[in-house]
Order: sequence, then C-alpha cells, then structure tokens
Amino acid sequence: MPKTIDEINERIKRGEAVVLTAEEMVELVKSKGPEAAAKEVDVVTTGTFGAMCSSGAFLNLGHSDPPIKLGGGEAYLNDVPAYTGLAAVDVYIGATAMSRSKGMEYGGGHVIEDLVRGREIELVGKAYGTDCYPRTEIKTTFTIHDLNQAILCNPRNCYQTYVAATNSTDQTLYTYMGILLPNFGNATFAGTGCLNPLTRDPNFRTIGTGTHIFLGGGEGYVVWEGTQHAPVNGRGTIMVAGDLKQMNPKFLRGGTITRYGCTLFVGIGIPIPILDEKMAIDAGRGNEEIFIDLVDYGVPRRERPVLRRVSYAELFSGEVTLDGREIPVSPLSSVRLAREIANTLKRWIEKGEFLLTEPVRRLPTDTSIRPMKQIQPVLRVREIMTKRLVTVGPNETLETAARLIKQHGIDHLPVVEKGKLVGIVTSWDLAVSIGTGKRKIAEIMTKEVITARDEEPIEVVIRRLEQHKISGMPVVDEKGVLVGIVTTDDISKAFGRKR
Amino acid sequence: MIRKLVLNYDSARASEPVLASVIRETGLLLNVLHAKINSQGGQIIVSVDAPEDQVHRVIELFKSKGVKVEELRQVIILDRDSCIDCGACLSLCPTKALYFTPEMKVELREERCVYCKLCVQACPVRALTLSKLE
Repeated sequence: MPKTIDEINERIKRGEAVVLTAEEMVELVKSKGPEAAAKEVDVVTTGTFGAMCSSGAFLNLGHSDPPIKLGGGEAYLNDVPAYTGLAAVDVYIGATAMSRSKGMEYGGGHVIEDLVRGREIELVGKAYGTDCYPRTEIKTTFTIHDLNQAILCNPRNCYQTYVAATNSTDQTLYTYMGILLPNFGNATFAGTGCLNPLTRDPNFRTIGTGTHIFLGGGEGYVVWEGTQHAPVNGRGTIMVAGDLKQMNPKFLRGGTITRYGCTLFVGIGIPIPILDEKMAIDAGRGNEEIFIDLVDYGVPRRERPVLRRVSYAELFSGEVTLDGREIPVSPLSSVRLAREIANTLKRWIEKGEFLLTEPVRRLPTDTSIRPMKQIQPVLRVREIMTKRLVTVGPNETLETAARLIKQHGIDHLPVVEKGKLVGIVTSWDLAVSIGTGKRKIAEIMTKEVITARDEEPIEVVIRRLEQHKISGMPVVDEKGVLVGIVTTDDISKAFGRKR
Repeated sequence: MIRKLVLNYDSARASEPVLASVIRETGLLLNVLHAKINSQGGQIIVSVDAPEDQVHRVIELFKSKGVKVEELRQVIILDRDSCIDCGACLSLCPTKALYFTPEMKVELREERCVYCKLCVQACPVRALTLSKLE
C-alpha cells in the first residue's frame, strides 16, 4: 500500500513517524527485505559533507549615506572580490574567489564561514558615481547581523556520485581531488556512499524544486536542478538555497585545496520519504552496490581514462586494488559529519520540527552534460613539433654533439640508443661541461627525460615546460618511440602564425 | 620521550648489519618507521623510546659504524577542533601515523610521524601544523 507525503507528514506531526538514517535503512533492507522495510519506514535521512565549489551567498549590504552604487563597480570582502553585477548593494560572494593579498589561503568560502561565525568582515567598495549614487568609495566593517539578507545560494551541490582519482605519471599532482602521488601512489574519492542524498532517490521521484532539506546546519530548499545535472550518467546535482543567518559554521567550512584553489565545504541532508517498495529498494542499496569510476588524473584532458569501476565498500576499506597492487585511499568528504547530519535530520523529524515537502516541479531525469563549444581548433603537439630529428648516441663525443647543434641551429639533442630515447643534451649542458674533462654524451646527458606525446594539446605541454623550467621536450608516440621534438621556439612560431 | 633518528647509509654500510648490531649491543627496541634502502645505500628512520643517555649511545654507535645520524626534532599537531574528518591526509601518510577511528574520526599517532609534510599541504582546513622543536 503506497504512502503519500501528506500521510507521512501527519505521522511526523503526531510524533509517530519511523525515521531511519540511510545506513540503518541499508541494514534493515538487508535483514527484512524491501517490502517489509517500505511498510515499516516512513523517512530515510541522508547526509554529505564535502567540498562544493559551486557555492556562494547573496548579501544585501544596505545603503550608505551618501549612497554608493557597488553594482557594476567593485567590492572586496576581507580582500576577496565579490561579484557586483547586480543592483546597487547586492553582492554575490563565490566560494572559489581568492584573496588579493593571501591568494588561495583565504577565499570566498572562508568569508562565508567567517560570516556564519558572526565575525566582522571588512568591505572595500569602489563605484563610478552617479547623480543618485554620488559616493565612489567605501570602507567599512559588518557582521552577518548587520545585513538585510544573507542567502546561501549554491548553483551546483551534492553530486549523486562522483569519481575516484589516481595518478599514473611520475610527478605528484595537485588536483581538485587532492594530492595524487606519482605512479599510482594513492587514490582519493568524493562522496559518502550510501549516505549520499541523491543516490537514495536516483529517479528524482521526491527530490525536486521545493524539497525541504538540511543545509549548512539550518534549513534550506532545493531550488532547481544543479548545473551540469546529468542523471543519465548517474551524476545528478541540485541547486540549493537557504538563510545563511540560521546556519552553523560546523557545517559550512571554507577550505583550500593546495595549488588548486579555494572552496566551501557544505553539509547537506535530504529526507527521503519511502512511498513504496521501489523507493525502499533504492534507499536500501549498500556501499557494495554503488560503483564509481576510478579515473587517471595523470591525463589532464576532459576525457580522462577510466581504469576500473570501484564500489564505495572497497573505497571505504582504505585500499583499492589496481593491477594486483593495493593502493591507499583517502576520502575527501567527511563520513563522520555526514552521519551527524543524517542523525540531526532524523532527530528533527522525530521531534516533529521538520516536515517533508512535495516537489512543486520534478527535476529532469533525461539530461547529460555537453562539452564546451570551442570555435578555435585545438592545436596539438604533432602539428607544431619538429619532425626532422637530429639525435646523438650516448657513446659519442661532446664535439660531435656541438657540431650537430651548430650545423642544424638547434639547442636540444635527444640521445638515442638502439632506437630508444635514453637522455637529452642541450647546448647549455655542453657549455657547462667545458673544462670538466668529460668526453662522452652519457656523462653529461639528462637521463630522466621529460617527454610530450604527439596527440597532446600544446597548452598541456606549455604547462609542463614551465613546471620543469625547460625549453624543449622530445615527443614520443604511444609506444614510446621518438617521433620529434617540441621546443619553446616551435610554440612561439605557432602562436605567431595564429595571430 | 620518543626520539626519531634518520640513518643515512652509503653503499659500503648498506650491505652490513648495522641496525641489527646496534640493537644487539644496546638491547634497545629500535622501531623502523620508514626505510628506503638498497645496495647503493639509502635511508632508514627509526624511533627509540629510551632515556637521554641511552639515545645518545645509540647515536654514537651508529656514527662509529659509519652511518650518518640526524635527529628529527619536529612536532606535528592535529587540531581536533578544526579537523572535519574528511580523510584527505590518510592515503598520503607513509607511516600510517594518521588513521581513522571506527567512528571515522581522524587521529594522529605522533610517535610514527616522519614529518614528510604531505598531510599539512593536503588538509583543506589547515588543521595539521608542523613546528620545529627547540
């Protein structure tokens, strides 16, 4: 016998509703089956607490005297730029905006946390001045209590599932998935598995516009589907909003992902009404039944290679297996706080303080994400590299190398032995070896050669050149065979041609 | 107090049972926290829980056997009030000094830390701080 949300709300008001957290529901469905669980349980509470970069808050600062039109001007909150493309004294502070003075160590997410903590925030504003808004500069301080409105409004939160990340390269990578050690040294993953709100209602039967949720320690609502909402790929998202003034800094924390940027950790919990057996099946899926992609972040492209599918149960065990190797794993979302959120929401509902809502609009279930439309072709290494290869053997003399460099007007000589790339020698290496008594290439060459692949976009290669402070890289194909060389000269020529 | 020593081996010492003989001669339990060593030489980090004079003897013994010794005089602190228990630090920790309790809280076993600093960088809320001991 299916239930309705109205009937469940009546039971909540009478203090009779049966509420389980998602983890408790998984156990119940395992022991009693979904049919019995659907009869017994009214609401399943969920929770997640993770970095959600698409977050921010609308603040209404009130009018100064004489008034200032920050709209179209500039506003800085604790030196973090806020968006002013709105009316005179409305600003939007986005989580990833960075302090002009502290850089990534302090950003919009931290401003939001400080607001919720009731701390004083410094405002510096600049405007162009109008007849009705004559003031052109302002410097003042305020707390959240001084604001007319402070509305958390996050355009994309709460991914249904995300990915696990690892790194095949020989370099440590600093990514939005955290620090990834070289040679598959570790893996990281986002999400809280069976506690993740959107995994419990994957068909968006009850989560829609108007759904009443736990947001940042207070109450909030689902406004719309989130940006990049892709339920077709199991990656639905939601846009949420709520009154920042009643939120709790325990569940809204500014964060810095080292060498990536600033963010906001957001706590969200969604109550899932168990209307029928089908909903009990979805809400009862355990961590061993929820799979995500383990992705190689060593490939800095839109389509990163998927190494395998991996369950949340395996991820939470602390290690994942890859090609017979056990790799240590870090979660990036807090299960401890996610549990606390699910339990808090459970308590609110049990006490009759929190009612469920019928969505006033269903979220789409048929969308997937499209890539950016790019009108300029992506320039790849193979299109700009020098293919006419001049190489040298490791046992040849420095004089041979110097002659080749002069003869061909080049700076880089890949060192090749039996068809394999074994090193690189530059004109600089030759210059500094004068007078050292060294005679053979093998004695002066760099053995750990940084290489490029012929199909890589040149932006990727430019970043690698900068990181290693080098001016050229041998290019290899997928088999590791040397096919050319790409240098800063080739790159500047290519950009010259484009202009 | 637990002290941590970095032992630097050259290729000549790498093939000798230096660590074993120091343990035998002192009778102290030297706990290997981290080791990266082969026939070319390398590094072993050990911890020793012993009174000052005995630690001094350990250091002198290693030196007399041709192994360079450096003491790690740092301390790492996990601010539990700030930690959000995300676990971003865990997979980076080479000695499993950072770990989850059964309640999924992050805890630190300072005595195992070798001060690689990876966790300090990885912590999104900067709850881990490293400082030098005077």
